[in-house]
Order: sequence, then C-alpha cells, then structure tokens
Amino acid sequence: MVVGDRNQRRALMALRLILLTAGVVVMLLPFAYMVSTSFKPNAMVLEIPVKFFPQHPTVANYVTAWTSNRFARYFLNSVVVAIGTTLAALLLSSMMAYAFARFRFPGRSILFGLILIALMVPTMMMLIPQFLLARDLHLLNSLWGLVAFYTGGNLGFNTFLLHSFFQDIPSELEEAMVVDGAGPWTRYWRLILPLARPALATAAIFTFLGAWDEFTWALTIINDPSKYTLPIAIALFQGQHSTSWGLVFAASVIAIAPVLVIFAIFQRQFVAGIAAGAVKA
Amino acid sequence: MRNRRPFIWLALAALLAGLATAQANTTVTFWTAYSSDGPEVKQLETVIIPAFEKAHPDITVKHVAIPYNDLHQKLVTAVAGGQLPDLVRSDIIWVPELANLGVLAPLDTSMSDFKSLADSVFPGPLATNYWKGHYYGLPLDTNTRIWVYDPATLTKLGMSGPPKTFDELKSMAAAAKAKGVYLYAEGGTGGWNILPWIWSGGGSLTNDTYTKASGYLDGPKSVAAVQMLVDLYKADEMPNIIVNPNGGLGTYDGIFQGKYASTLDGPWMFAIFGGAHPDTKLEGSLIPAGPGGSISVVGGEDIVMTQQSKNKAAAEAFLRFLLSDEAQRAMAQAGQMPVLKSADSWLPSIHDYYATYLKQIATARPRTPTPKWPQIDQVLNTEIAKAFQGSETVQQALTNAAHQIDALLQ
Repeated sequence: MVVGDRNQRRALMALRLILLTAGVVVMLLPFAYMVSTSFKPNAMVLEIPVKFFPQHPTVANYVTAWTSNRFARYFLNSVVVAIGTTLAALLLSSMMAYAFARFRFPGRSILFGLILIALMVPTMMMLIPQFLLARDLHLLNSLWGLVAFYTGGNLGFNTFLLHSFFQDIPSELEEAMVVDGAGPWTRYWRLILPLARPALATAAIFTFLGAWDEFTWALTIINDPSKYTLPIAIALFQGQHSTSWGLVFAASVIAIAPVLVIFAIFQRQFVAGIAAGAVKA
Repeated sequence: MRNRRPFIWLALAALLAGLATAQANTTVTFWTAYSSDGPEVKQLETVIIPAFEKAHPDITVKHVAIPYNDLHQKLVTAVAGGQLPDLVRSDIIWVPELANLGVLAPLDTSMSDFKSLADSVFPGPLATNYWKGHYYGLPLDTNTRIWVYDPATLTKLGMSGPPKTFDELKSMAAAAKAKGVYLYAEGGTGGWNILPWIWSGGGSLTNDTYTKASGYLDGPKSVAAVQMLVDLYKADEMPNIIVNPNGGLGTYDGIFQGKYASTLDGPWMFAIFGGAHPDTKLEGSLIPAGPGGSISVVGGEDIVMTQQSKNKAAAEAFLRFLLSDEAQRAMAQAGQMPVLKSADSWLPSIHDYYATYLKQIATARPRTPTPKWPQIDQVLNTEIAKAFQGSETVQQALTNAAHQIDALLQ
C-alpha cells in the first residue's frame, strides 16, 4: 500500500510537471517569437519554417522604432496616463470599497449591485456615448480625457476586489482605534490601506496594465499626434499595404519593459492579493 | 496729457493689428492613413507641408496619421461626435458612404475653381467622388494592380518572361510547381483580389448600372475565371494565403525568398520592396489576358473636405496645393501614383515601372460605387473563400454571393 501510494504520488507529480511545462511553453512561445522577430532584419521577419534564432541578428528595428515618429514622446504619454490612472483609480476605489465594507447606509446593496452590473456592459457598446460625454466635458483630445475614462472604467472591478479584501480585515482593530478617538478617515488611511497592501498591489497591476494597453478609446478621442499613446504608435507601423513586423515587435518589446518592471515590484504582494481576493469572490 | 493720446491710440491699433494677424494664422487638420515607416509620410511631412507653409505663412497644416484599419471606424465615430478634421485622405471606397452620411462638403458647388481642377485630373479617379448629383471630393492619388514579379526567380525556373495570357499562366504555374515555386501568390478573396480575374475573364460583378449581381457575378464567364484560380489552388499551384491571408508567408517575403515568383500589386510595392531589399529588382507587366482582355481594378484615395470644417478657405488652399504638379511629383517619388493628366508625360521618368501602371490603368475598372461597398466586399471575401476551401462549388459560391449582393444593391 505504502509503495503504491508513493508511486501514485510520483505519477501525479510527473503529470503536474508535464502540464505545467506545457503551460509554460504555450505562454512563452509567442513572447519568444516576438523577441526573436524584433532582432531580425526587416525582410526575413515571417519565415516558414519559423526560426527562433535569427541568422543575422540586428538591433536596427529598435533604433528605427525608437527614433521614428516621436516614439519617445508616445512612451512618455503612456507613462503619464498609466500612472495617473493607477493613482486616481486606486484612491477612489479604495475609498468606495471602504465605505461599502464598513458603513451601513440606505441603498448600499443597490449601489454595490449597480457597480457590478456596470462591469458587465461591453466597452465597445459604450464607445459612442462615452465619446459624446467626453466631447461635452471638453475632454476630447487630451491625456486627462484618457485618465478620466480609464479611471472610471477601472473603478468597478477595483472596488469589488478591494471590498472583499477589506471585509476580511478584523473589525476589532478598527474598534480599538475608535476607542482612541480615530475618525473614519484616519482608520481608512492609517489602518486599512497599510493592511490592504497586497490587494492594492493587485489592483495597481491590473489598472496599470489596462491603461497601458488600451487602444480603442485612445484612438477614438485623441486627434493630436503629439498626444498619441504607445498602442497607437505601434499600430501605426502597420500600413495599408504592408506591415513592418520587425518594427512592430521591437516597439512591442520596448512597450513591455515598464510592465515587467511594475510586475517585478509588485509581484510578491500580487500573488498574496489574488489569493485574498479569491476567498471572498 | 493731450499730446500722449495719439500714442495710446497708435499702441492700441498696433495691438489690434497684432491680434488680427495672430487670428489669421489658421490650422488645417489633415487625416491620412500613412504608416509611420512608409516613404509617403516622409514626403508629406518633410517636403510637401513645409513647401505649402512657406508659400502660405498664415496657414499651418496639422497632419494626423491614423492606422488604416481603424480610420474608417474613427471617421464614423467622429461623424457622430461632430469632431471631423478639415480634410481627409479617404480610400476611394469610403467616399460614397461618407457623402451619404452628409458630412462631406460638395466641392463642385463650394469651390469656385472646381471645374478647372476636375479637368486637370483623370476622369476615372474623379468619378469615384461622384454621389447623387455632386462631387464630394477630388482624386488625390490613383493606382491599380499589375503583375509584379522577380525576374531572377523566373530565370531560375527557366522562364523567359511573365505569363501574358490565362493559358500561359496555367502552364507556367504547373511548371513552377514542379520546381517547388509558386508562380502566383494572392493574399485574399475580396474584390480587390478577385475582380481583375473576373473582368479579364470577360465576366463582371454587376450590370452596368450597379443594380444587380445575379446573372453577372454568377454568369458563366465569371465562374470560369474564378474556377481557373480554384483549380490552381487545388493543384497546390497557389499558396494558401489566398484563403488565410495571415496564415502563411506574405507575398513580399515570399517573393524575396524566391518561394513565390509573382503577385498582383500596386506601385507602392516597388517603393516598399526597394526600401527593404535594394538588391532585388522587381519588374511589372500587364495582368495576363483572358477572354475579356487584361482588366485590372482601380484603387486610390480621394481628398474630401468636411462640412464641419471651420477653415474651408485654408483647407481649399491646401487641397489645391496637393493637386499641384509640385506636390504630385513629390508623392510620385514615394510610390504614390499621381492623378494629373499632365503626369502621363513625366511619370515614367520618375520610375520606369509607372509606364506599365499607366498602360494598365487605361482599361482598369472601379469597384462598385455604393455606400454598401464594404459589405459587398465582405460577402465576396466570405463566399469565394468557400469555393477555395472546397465546401462549395464555384457556381454555388458565386450564386450565393450574387443573391446577397442583390439585396445590398437595392
């Protein structure tokens, strides 16, 4: 029995490793393809059979991508928009989540339900109404218009995520602070936020990624090339008649770098945050 | 005190004059779909716009490049929000749709010199601006598809030149296949791809008044022309990118790697290809002739002015400049074919391949001028692909397509 158990366990472990390896390969192959293509001279980009190691590697695509068409400017625009969105969305959604988690007020569950329903409306359906709204608010053609609408778009999910995390924070801690005379703002700022760091990191990564990658809204409202963000700049390498895939991929690798940095910074917190969110969700 | 008054008035007058000149400096916004690394955008931004601004110091041109695949969507959204630019370089197939939405200024009534401008351009491209009694734009550039090939690959295959007829195409495709090369690669089954074959085969998409496709698209000559391509494909003498444009080696890469000998393409191919591979010299010839002759498809862009434009006079000035000999020559160097009748004399001296394009365009035909063209094209794409995939016969596929197109033409 004992031997059989061990064999069974080994088999299970082997199976797990095989599945995980397959998963890793599936996840990494496109990434490897992108990186290798970005080093290929323009002509040999799409080869069949696929070659992962370019015969004549070159950094020319990176130089062209970075120097052509104000790419550095677009990069900076994206940084401003993504960081602005992350800060604004985190601050607002954590305050909302705190209110939903700790305060009793009339209409609380209806409001929370509305937030969840708004999450389920496809973004494409809201494109034209949002465009008209942005026009009336004079937010067209401005980076603030991007920040405002990305923030709005992220509030629902973040509030939902943080709400379930906040509920798990023992209320005894807050009661102790109340005894010491702390008001709601102090409790939110001094207690809840520091304790919720993993959940905040998770929300930060999702929000940053969402704002960093967003294409449709940015394309729709920005009409001034000096305000383009990276996804539009990358799409502009795809022409009507031909696409310079080497440039597209080199630009994409450049665009991924900050995301990797953000991920590395928040990663430890991030994993904890996913688990925390999962319990209640 | 009294003595100083005139000075104050003078200063005020100067200030007002200053304000007036500041206000006179208008900005014209111009949307195009030029890609960032293409040769056209460089010509436009470093040659044409600076030359125009030098001649018109009171006008600034703001060029906004939008990815081609998204320009149509962005135009439609901008229409809804009233946020259109002054000028748009629009694909000729979108002009009827935009005119139908009522967002374009009818240039034939709003521009005093429209007639002389219209007289200076080729009539075919000009006709793509006509919708319900008015001209809503002027042609900016034109193009067509010709047979483009790498002569080195043909030499390797032991062939002395490109196919001139449908019969030569068939026999040469089989001979190339025997040596592991595809003679002809085509990247899709839409109108742009297939219509040259249908027309050269003597068939047509609709009747002459564009009201009916049944009996034309599924007529015997159209069917025979598509059947010829399907037969080539089934004999593995054409690569699979015709049914799956992104699923295989693209035409440019395939031709460079010597795996494809030829394709049909526009003049930009020479500019783009020459930029990437200066050592490979492509050549062009007329599309192989079938029972209907050698008939290609007209492409190109029109320049349209929006009704919303607040700077119509300045926009007109830039539009006029884009149709000038100077600007048309500058764009011709970047592979964009001019629309001026006078270009016939100087165009081949810029690039010799233009001579073949000029010959081909003389008999080329436009795609159906209707706001529904994008949907018609979608029908062609989907239905004709079924014939290549073998799930339907060519006759079935074209009959189905014709029925759907009939409904769209109503």
